[in-house]
Amino acid sequence: MASTAASVSTAAASRAGDGVPLWRLYVLRAAYLLLVVGLGAMIVPIVVSHEPTARGVIPSLLCGLWLLSFVGLKLPLRMLPLLMFEFAWKTVWLLAFGLPQWFSGQQPPTFAEDMFNIAFGVILMPLVIPWGYVWRNYVKAPADRWR
Amino acid sequence: MNARLARLCKRGDQEVSLFRLYVMRAVALLGVWGLFPTIQTLAAHAPMDRGVHKALIGGLWVMAIFALRYPLKMVPILLFEMVWKTVWLLAFGLPQWWSGVGSPRLSEDLWSIGVFPVVVALVIPWGYVWRHYVTASGERWR
Repeated sequence: MASTAASVSTAAASRAGDGVPLWRLYVLRAAYLLLVVGLGAMIVPIVVSHEPTARGVIPSLLCGLWLLSFVGLKLPLRMLPLLMFEFAWKTVWLLAFGLPQWFSGQQPPTFAEDMFNIAFGVILMPLVIPWGYVWRNYVKAPADRWR
Repeated sequence: MNARLARLCKRGDQEVSLFRLYVMRAVALLGVWGLFPTIQTLAAHAPMDRGVHKALIGGLWVMAIFALRYPLKMVPILLFEMVWKTVWLLAFGLPQWWSGVGSPRLSEDLWSIGVFPVVVALVIPWGYVWRHYVTASGERWR
């Protein structure tokens, strides 16, 4: 029993060729699943049924994120740019809009809801993203060929 | 000359042709350049601006910089571009255009958003997507 548990935990910690332990792939898949379920519940009703004059840019962007999260369940590492994008735009929002509006006290009516959803992402994404893998593959790796 | 052109356009034993990589990089460059005016507004916006739209554009801008160096690894962002713009076109753009009742910025958005699914569809290396995202076996489960 103990040896089974030990071998399971060894398997979870072992890294394949991508240098990412198995538990990390599960964490990533859990994040995509959270997007599939949480973002889906929030965004699909808005896309399906909305005011005839709604501009629809934000719901469409989020709906695109939702649809591609399904691919992330199958290919969590290959779809990392999607999570990097999540982290990037939410950080941009927090720095350029969220925090300044928080401190100034001048806030749009949607502020509380946006702050909760976006700050959650800014805290969660850095914990989920395998930064070593990102560093090796998206920074240090040789660029795709130029000639 | 012909040999050089053939080398540029043929995939050979590579994942995609060099020509395709340049087209993808050109689109990334277009993104970096075209979205920059929005980036500038991040530093100076109306105090009550909701900002979600601008922040999303800001995130895409950062991803476009990565795509200059790694166009193939950043394919998910191109797929995202195509998917969200198609969603917009199907759920908002086209119904509003046909009904004649739409958002005040409909005609502007039809050009800046509605045309792009076609452009992006021409840029995406579909063979590569097929091999690496559809028929590829899923990443490890155990």
